[in-house]
Amino acid sequence: MNQALLVAKNLGRRKLRTGLMLLALLIAFFLYGCLESFDRAFYASQNSAADNRLVSVNKVNFTLPLPISYAAQIGLVPGVSAVSYQSWFGGYYQDPRQFLIMFASDPAGYLAVYPNLQVTPAERTAWLADRTGLLVGRTVATKYHWRVGDHVPISSNIYTRAKGSHAWDFTISGIYSFPTDPAREGQVIMRHDYFDETVTFGRDTINMVMFTTKSAALNEAVIKRIDAQFANSPYETTTDTAAAFNRAFASQLGNIALIIRLVLISAFAAILLIVGNTMVMAVRERTREIGVLKTLGFSGTAIMMQILAESMLLSVTGALLGLAVAGLLISGLKEVIAGFAPGMHLAWQEVVSALGWAVILGLATGGLPAWSGLKLRIATALGRI
Amino acid sequence: MMPRVLRQCAALARMNILSIPQRIWMSVSTCFAIALVVAVLLVFLAMGNGFKQAQSSAGAADIAIVLRDGAQTEISSTVSREQVMLLEEAPGIARASGKPLLSAELYVIVDGIRRSNGLKSNLPLRGLGVEGAALRHNVRIVQGRMFRSGTNELVVGQGVTREFAGFDLGHTLRLGQTVWTVVGIFADGGTVRESELWADVGVVQSVFHRLNVFQTVRARLASPTALATLKSHVANDPRLQLVVESEAEYFSEQAKQSSGLIQNLGWPLAIIMAIGALAGALNTMYSSVAARGTEIATLRAIGFGGIPTFAGTLAEALALSIVGGLFGVLAATILFNGYSASTLSSNFTQVIFTFKMTPALCVRALWLAITIGLIGGILPAIRAARLPIVGMLGEQ
Repeated sequence: MNQALLVAKNLGRRKLRTGLMLLALLIAFFLYGCLESFDRAFYASQNSAADNRLVSVNKVNFTLPLPISYAAQIGLVPGVSAVSYQSWFGGYYQDPRQFLIMFASDPAGYLAVYPNLQVTPAERTAWLADRTGLLVGRTVATKYHWRVGDHVPISSNIYTRAKGSHAWDFTISGIYSFPTDPAREGQVIMRHDYFDETVTFGRDTINMVMFTTKSAALNEAVIKRIDAQFANSPYETTTDTAAAFNRAFASQLGNIALIIRLVLISAFAAILLIVGNTMVMAVRERTREIGVLKTLGFSGTAIMMQILAESMLLSVTGALLGLAVAGLLISGLKEVIAGFAPGMHLAWQEVVSALGWAVILGLATGGLPAWSGLKLRIATALGRI
Repeated sequence: MMPRVLRQCAALARMNILSIPQRIWMSVSTCFAIALVVAVLLVFLAMGNGFKQAQSSAGAADIAIVLRDGAQTEISSTVSREQVMLLEEAPGIARASGKPLLSAELYVIVDGIRRSNGLKSNLPLRGLGVEGAALRHNVRIVQGRMFRSGTNELVVGQGVTREFAGFDLGHTLRLGQTVWTVVGIFADGGTVRESELWADVGVVQSVFHRLNVFQTVRARLASPTALATLKSHVANDPRLQLVVESEAEYFSEQAKQSSGLIQNLGWPLAIIMAIGALAGALNTMYSSVAARGTEIATLRAIGFGGIPTFAGTLAEALALSIVGGLFGVLAATILFNGYSASTLSSNFTQVIFTFKMTPALCVRALWLAITIGLIGGILPAIRAARLPIVGMLGEQ
């Protein structure tokens, strides 16, 4: 009889108990899979932004305006390689509750600053040619069933149109994907010249200048130069890397990372106690058998390894089951999830770290019973009822 | 006299509960797991409640708020000086010595540095008209004094001073090209207003290059029926492309709109965790039944019925879950009641709020614990009631 068979037999002797422990572990790792994937998707923008991409905004707050001329002036700063700018449009489709993350930008500059934005050459040309063209992120297009060439009316909860109807008419020039930063697939980009031509106020102002430097090593010098250039003007700037800007923005929603950690710590603490105690009890029940095995010549180490293998097998199986359920749920609810956490999916990072935790949990829950198995004296074991 | 079966139930319940120390570690771990589930649920509920209350309790019924037609929030609204002047003549607005009690306001977002992480966050700077402060009933200055018109003076909500650096009394700060002095700190019973900075509207307009532009108008209503009068007046004047709401209506709508993902995460998370805790409870109770097998068989042999055996086991499970639940409520309350936090509101600025536990929320959280205890107790209790007497006694 080999050791593996003993481990399997031990786990199988009380199927209900093993099943309940697996369920508890499954729950913990299901939460782990879901929350960690969410966490990664939520903070993706700050981790995936190219390190040579920078943003300049109004120093008082990024919602306040800057003159549109700043974009051209920043483009002249040595070390800057591509420049674009944007204004928040406050757009919504049909109903104010269906708000869009929508900006007005200059097409050529936008495509240059975001080289990882993927559209077909034909779509790119269409957007560059059509003033009323709209570039739509994949998530948004899926949500509203928009296709390239569709005409869509979009209203703004900030701006009013100078002439014509209440809503702006757009033609969808292209639908883009953004593999390096899926959150951007939840955005919609209109052309700033169309914006300037139609709004009743806010013309020739922008909220942000986005630009790239020739190398990240130049960032610091470029930042200093730009902010010094506009200092003591009516519109002072603050310039930062896009990653740092996104980090500050994400933190405005609250300390999501802390909430996730606290929930996971609670879940794991509960499961550690439940499974740990059950393992202690399960091994105590086998005291006599362990005595017999030792009498037959099994070493203390062998017994210890058996018990550890048992707890480890249990926690790794529980982890895999939990991750599988989390993965199925996340891909099954893809469309719902895209609304609040675009690009959220269970990736190898979560699987690897979860398995790491499963090993640690296995050691922690099996540790105490394994130790007592190792130390158990045959006489005591056989004497105990 | 109590019927026999009830006396038996009570006796067995007592016996089971008193014997918990024999299975102390299993029992403690179940209690602890249930406590954690209850605590997680309660903290989320208290967070959502605090956030909602900060907004919904801010609105007064006798104050009207006027926004651009179609604007959902103050930040996306605009009101021109001409419109303000027309409103000053509108019916339904209370007057004191001939002057309408009305405040045209401008709302700009400025950066504040959060104490906890040193990162920038959006804070609302509200320019108030002369009557502005008087239109907020519950506001009182707790330190310093109110700002003077025409000066670069700020008064700051106490939520802001709590969560953000640089807004303490007497501090100066630079916004754009002007230096402002904090001359007062105000309180408003924990509402969303405590997340605001206030200054004179004329100064805010000139500093932020928004001359003659306002965002909202607040006005005291002359009587309870005045809201309808004012609404129909505004609706019938084509020069006023505006909508009127009572402040109470406005804020309860805001509270509805901004209860986001995090606020609604409590129940789903707690239920998922509860399934894990339930697995633990079932394990504990099944092993309790197994450990007491001989005892149960003996009791059955001397005349205790199946129902008391069932009830005794269920009582043990319920006792564990209630103790765990109470412990969870206690821990969550001690650690998190009154905990201050902030998040983005639909106005795109920070709402600073405190977690608020209420007895009703605690009871809801306890029910979850009791549910775990019931489900975790019933199945093992059925097994206990069905244990074969002869088999169990024969085993020894």
